[in-house]
Amino acid sequence: MRPFTYTRATDATSAIKLLAENPHAKFLAGGTNLLDLMKEDVERPTALIDISDLDLNDIKPITAGVNQGGISLGGLGKNTDAANHPLVRQHYPLLSQAILAGASGQIRNMATNGGNLLQRTRCPYFYEVAMPCNKREPGTGCGARDGINRMHAIFGWSEHCVAVYPSDLAVALTALDAGVIVRSANGQQRRIPIADFYRLPGDEPEKDTNLPHGELITAIELPKNRFANQSYYLKVRDRASYAFALVSVAAALETEGNTIKQARIAMGGVAHKPWRALKAEQMLVGKEATEANFKLAADAEMADAKPLTHNAFKVELGNRSIVLALRMAVNGGKA
Amino acid sequence: MKEVTKVTGTPINRIDGIAKVTGKAPYSMDHPVKNPAYAILFKSTVAAGKIQAIDMTAAEKAPGVIAIITHQNAPKLNVKGGLRGGALLQSPEIEFFGQHIGIVVAETFEQARYASRLIQVTYDKKEPKVDFEKLAGQARLPKDKEKADARRGDVQTALRQATYKVEEVYETPIEHHHPMEPHATIAEWNGDHVTLYNSAQIVNGAQTATAATLNLKPEQVRIVSPYIGGGFGSKGGQWANLALAAVAAKHVNRPVKLALTRQQMVNSVGMRQHNRQKISLAATADGKLTALAHETTTHCAINDEFVEPCGDCSKVMYDTPNSLITYRVVPMNLILPTYTRGPGKSTGSFALESAMDELAYKLKMDPIAFRIKNEPDRDPSNGKPWSSRATVQCLQEGAKAFGWENRKSEPRQNQQGNYWIGYGVAAGTYPAHQRPTSALVKLKRTGDHVAATVELAAADLGTGTYTILTQTAADALGLPIQNVKVNIGDSSLPPAAGAVGSVGAASYANAVNDACVKLTQELVVKSGKQFFVRPTAAQLMRSEKITDYQTRVDSKPPESAEAYSAHSFNANFAEVAVHQSTGMIRVNRFLAVTGAGTILNPKTARSQIIGGNVWGIGMALTEESVVDPRWGNFVTRSLADYHVPTHLDIGHLDAIFINEKDEHVNTLGVKGIGEVGIVAVAAAVANAVFNATGKRIRELPITPDKVL
Amino acid sequence: MDEHESPELTEDEKQLFADLMPEDLTEIMDKGVNRRHFLKLMTLAGGGILAAQSAVAEQVLTRSSSETLPTELVPDSLENAVTVACKVNGKARTFTIDSRMTLLDTLRERLDLTGSKKGCDHGQCGACTVIVNGSRVLSCLTLAASCAGKTVQTIEGLAQGNRLHPMQEAFLKHDGFQCGFCTPGQICSAVALLDEAKKGHASYVTGNLRPPVGPVKLSNEEIRERMSGNICRCGAYPNIVAAIQEVHSGQSVEQVFRSV
Repeated sequence: MRPFTYTRATDATSAIKLLAENPHAKFLAGGTNLLDLMKEDVERPTALIDISDLDLNDIKPITAGVNQGGISLGGLGKNTDAANHPLVRQHYPLLSQAILAGASGQIRNMATNGGNLLQRTRCPYFYEVAMPCNKREPGTGCGARDGINRMHAIFGWSEHCVAVYPSDLAVALTALDAGVIVRSANGQQRRIPIADFYRLPGDEPEKDTNLPHGELITAIELPKNRFANQSYYLKVRDRASYAFALVSVAAALETEGNTIKQARIAMGGVAHKPWRALKAEQMLVGKEATEANFKLAADAEMADAKPLTHNAFKVELGNRSIVLALRMAVNGGKA
Repeated sequence: MKEVTKVTGTPINRIDGIAKVTGKAPYSMDHPVKNPAYAILFKSTVAAGKIQAIDMTAAEKAPGVIAIITHQNAPKLNVKGGLRGGALLQSPEIEFFGQHIGIVVAETFEQARYASRLIQVTYDKKEPKVDFEKLAGQARLPKDKEKADARRGDVQTALRQATYKVEEVYETPIEHHHPMEPHATIAEWNGDHVTLYNSAQIVNGAQTATAATLNLKPEQVRIVSPYIGGGFGSKGGQWANLALAAVAAKHVNRPVKLALTRQQMVNSVGMRQHNRQKISLAATADGKLTALAHETTTHCAINDEFVEPCGDCSKVMYDTPNSLITYRVVPMNLILPTYTRGPGKSTGSFALESAMDELAYKLKMDPIAFRIKNEPDRDPSNGKPWSSRATVQCLQEGAKAFGWENRKSEPRQNQQGNYWIGYGVAAGTYPAHQRPTSALVKLKRTGDHVAATVELAAADLGTGTYTILTQTAADALGLPIQNVKVNIGDSSLPPAAGAVGSVGAASYANAVNDACVKLTQELVVKSGKQFFVRPTAAQLMRSEKITDYQTRVDSKPPESAEAYSAHSFNANFAEVAVHQSTGMIRVNRFLAVTGAGTILNPKTARSQIIGGNVWGIGMALTEESVVDPRWGNFVTRSLADYHVPTHLDIGHLDAIFINEKDEHVNTLGVKGIGEVGIVAVAAAVANAVFNATGKRIRELPITPDKVL
Repeated sequence: MDEHESPELTEDEKQLFADLMPEDLTEIMDKGVNRRHFLKLMTLAGGGILAAQSAVAEQVLTRSSSETLPTELVPDSLENAVTVACKVNGKARTFTIDSRMTLLDTLRERLDLTGSKKGCDHGQCGACTVIVNGSRVLSCLTLAASCAGKTVQTIEGLAQGNRLHPMQEAFLKHDGFQCGFCTPGQICSAVALLDEAKKGHASYVTGNLRPPVGPVKLSNEEIRERMSGNICRCGAYPNIVAAIQEVHSGQSVEQVFRSV
C-alpha cells in the first residue's frame, strides 16, 4: 500500500467535502475490495476517508415519492443486514439471494451496499500491475483481449477492455430497476437509475460507473413490485461457493394465470456491467410461462453474444442459465 | 504396578490439538524475536532475458527502508547447494516470470512492500519459452535415468492385434500446492550461526541445503519447524526464500521476517507440472489386458529438470505381458516443478484409471471385475512378491459399503431432479518405504513417576507425527501418553527422514520403537536380572531406582524388506451429481478403502485419507494454474482465481481401512497413507461423471464448461 | 496521565471535549482529564478528522502519550501514524500504528496475538477471521485504524482460563484440522456462525427466504455453505462440519472409524 492519511468522518457533508477536494482520496467503507486492490498496488489513494461511522445504514419503507411502497437500503448498511432484513426477505427475496450468493459470510459482514456497487473487476490483468490493462492504466492495452479470457465478457466489450463486472447484488438490483441515491459536495441528492449507473467500457474502460468523484452513495431504492413470489438468483461458478460467477442470472416474473405480465432478467459475469436482458424480457411479456417460451427468450438474448477466444461456452451456459433461472423463479426456487 | 493399556491403533485426539485450537501453536512467523526487520522479495516481470538496470532511487529514499539487496550486492552463494528453483540473486539472468530479483528490508512490512513497488527494472528481453502447446513437440528424453523408456514385451504388436483397446490422451494442468501457510522465514544470526524459523517437511534437508547454499557448515544452521502450516511437497525441498532470509538478516544485522505473499507463491516454491499422458490399453474379449503403454510428455525448468513419475502406477497396478512406460520433457521458462501430493501417482492414476474405465465400458464389463481380472500376483515391473497387497479387498469391500450394485452400467440412466447421478471407481497405489532415522529417548523418574522425552528431527505438517510417536513410545515404554513428550521439528535433534513420499510414519515410528526397545533392553542388562516376562522400561526405572536414562538409535529399514515390493493400495468410489443445465458437479459421496498396513491412529489416519480425497476432488473439478502463453505469468495467482475446494464442494466422505498385517515392510508394518489418499481420486470422479452423463472428460479440471 | 492531575484546559481544548465528549465535559471541568477520558478521546478521535487536522487534539494527544501509550516499541519512521484504542479479548489496548497497518498485522506484530493467521492477506482464505463487535470479519482486510472504539475477539480470547470454548473442544474431538493453520479462523468463524443462526440469518442454500425470521436449525449443507469462506487445504472439511454441528445442535455427532 502507498502511504495515505486516514480520516474518520463524523458527518456526511464534511466527508464528501474532503473527498471532493482531493482527486486521489477515496472513501473507505467495508474495505473488502479497496484494501485488496491497495495491497496489489492497483489502487493508490493518498487519503482514505473512513465513512463507516456515518448514519447511513437504515433499511426502511419509502413513504413518499415515485417509489412509495418500495424500500430504501442505506448505502453503508452491511450486505449481511440487507440480505437478512425481514422487509428484504419478504418483498425482495431475489436481492437476498443475490447478496447471499456473493463472497463469504465474513465479507458480507464487512461489505456495504454502496461499496458493493463500486466493486472493481476481478480481471487478473487488472490485478497484476506488471500486465497491460487499460482499466488500470489507460493506454497500456488490454491483456485479456488476446490473452486468457475464459472469465471475460461476451456482451458489450470493446477492443480496449473485455472485463466483467463482479457484483451479484448489482445484478439483482438491475433486474429490480433500483435507483442509486447519491449526494454531492454541494449537499444535493440525486437518483441515478441503476441502468444508468453502470457503463460499457468503450474507449474509457478506466471508468466503471457514471458516478463522478466526489459523490457519496447514501442509499439504494427498490421500487415496489410483484415479483416476490416468482424470482430466483442463479449463480453458476467453477466451485460450489465463494467464487465469482461464470454466469449468473437474476430472474423475476409477474404472472396472471400462466401469462407473463412482466419479466425481469439481468445477467452477471457476461459484461462490463450487470446485463439487463431486455430482448429476453420483451419476448416473454404476454406469453405463457412455459419452458419453450423461456428457451425462445434465452435464444433471443444470447443471439447477440460475441465470445472471445476462451469463453464461447458462456453463450450456451448463459442460454441455459436464463431458462433454468426462469424455471426456478416460477417454481418458487425449485427445479 | 498398574497395567497400561496399549494406545497404538486407538483414535486418541491429536496431541498437538490443544495448541492448534487455541492459536498457540507457533508456525514460522509466530516465533517471538526482538526488533525484527521486515523483508519482501521483488520479482522479475519478464520470463526470459537479462536485467539491464535496476533503478532504486525512489525506493532507497522511502521511509523505513534499511536495505535493498539485488544480484549487484548479494553475497556469493552456492547455487548448487541443494535449494530448489534457483533465483538466489547471483546473476542478472532471468529464467522465468516472477523470479526473485531482489529483497527490500524495512522497519515495517508496509514500508518494505511499498518500497518494493518503487523499484524500476529494465530488461534485455528474450523470447520466452512458455507455451507448452507449441513446445511439447520438442520434448526430449529426461536426463534422469529413472525416467528412461521401460519396455517389456511388445506393446505395438499387441495393440495392433487387439479388438478391444483404448488409445487416448489425458491432460492434467499445472497445479499449485498452496498450503494455507505461505512459505515464510524468520532469520536470526548469532555470530556466524543462524537460526531459521521455517516450515520444513525435511528438517535436516533444509539445514544441509541452506548451509551449503550459504557456504556454511551444517552445524552453523539451525532449522526450527515445530509446526508446519501445510506443505504437500512444496516444503520438502526448500527454495531460495529460505536462504535469502538469512542473507537479508546478515545484511542488516538484525532478525528478519521474510514471508512470501500468496501471489508470490505461484512462482516461488514449485508447482505440479502440466502432464500430457497417452495411455494405450489392449485386452482380450474376456477382459485380460494384453498391453499397457503410458507415455508422458511434460515440461521442466529451463535449466533444471524435474519430471513427475506419472507412469509409476502403470508399472505395478495390472498384470500385462506387454508394457511400455516413457517420459519426454521440454525445458520452459517457468519455475521448476516439484513433488506435489501423490507425485506422479495422483496424475498418472487419472490417466490409467480413466482408460481402464473406458476399456471396461467397451468390454461391457463391470470396472471392478475388469480390474480384479488383471490383478498381478507379483510386482510386474520387477517380479518381486508383494509385501502385502489389498487391491482386490479394497475393491470388494468398497463395493459392498458403497452400494455399487445400485450403479447403472450405462450412462444417463440415473436421474434425480435436474441432476444426472453417476458412480465411479478407481484403484491406486503408492510405494511404502522406511528411511534412515535416528531417535533419542530420555527417561526421567521422580518417585514412582516416570516420564519420557522422545527427540528426533521429524516433521508434522498435520500428518499426526506428534500423536503417533506419543502412542508408539507410550506403548513401547509402558507409560501413559501424558507421561510422554515428543520433541520434533528442530535440526538440533537427532537426524530424521522427511515427512515426504509417505515415509514419515514408517521411518519415525519404527525409529522411536527401536529406540524404546533398545532402551528397555539396556535397562534389563543394567539390572543384571533375568525375567520370564520382560518388564517395561517404566517398571525397570522404578524397580532399579534409576533416575535418568537415555538411549539413541540410528534406525534403518530391515534388509529383508528389499526382497519385497511394498506399496499401499486403495480403491475409491465416487457418486457425483451433474447439473443438467449448468454442468456444475458435486461429489455427493466419496469412499476411500485403503490397505496401508498398520494404522497407528485411526482418527488422524482417517483425516489424512479424507484430506487426500479433498485434494483429489479439487484436482478433478476445480484446480488449475493457467499461464499466459505470451508472457509466462500465471493469470491464476490468487486464491480467488485458483480454486481449491471449499466446504460446500465436499459432500459426505468416508474412509475404510483394511485390517492388514504386513510382516515384511518394516518392524511395525506401517506403509504410509499421506500420499495414497489422493491417488485414483480424480479418476473415480471422472469415471462417475462419465457414468452420469456419458461424457468422457480427459482434461482436468472438469469445470462446468467442459460438461455442457 | 496521572488519575488526579487537573490541568487547566484552554478554550480550544474545552471546545474539543465539548464536541467529542459532551457527556464528560462537566466531569472534566470539575476534576480534570483522567485516564478514562483520555482513552475515550483517543477512541473518538483516533486518527480521525480531529486527530489529523486539529492542532488542539494533537496537543492533547501528544501531551499524554508518553504516559498512556504502552511501552511497546514504535518503529521510528511511522508515516501517517494513527493512535487507536480498542478492546482486544476483553482488555483495553492502545497502539500507534502506520495508517496502512491491517488489524491482522497489528494483532500479530504489535499485540503478540499470533493466533490469527495470514493465509492470503486478500480476503480469499479466511485464516485471519476474527470477531469484531460480535461479527466475524477478515482482519486482513480491516485497517486497524478503523477499529477504534470496537471490541475485537481472537482465537486467544475464546477459552476461559484453561477451559476451552465448546467449539474448540469439538474441533479437538472431531479432528477438525490437520496442519492447524486455518484452525483459528475456522473456529472464530464457527463461533460467530452460531450467533448468525440464532438471529435467523439465511444463506444461499436456504430454500425459502420468505418465512418469518427466527432462530434456524442448520443442516450440514447450511453449515458447509456458511463456512465456505474458510478454506482448509488439508481437507478437514467433514470433521469441521461435524464439530460445528455438534455444538450447534447440542447433540453428540458420532465418530466412525471403519476397518474391515
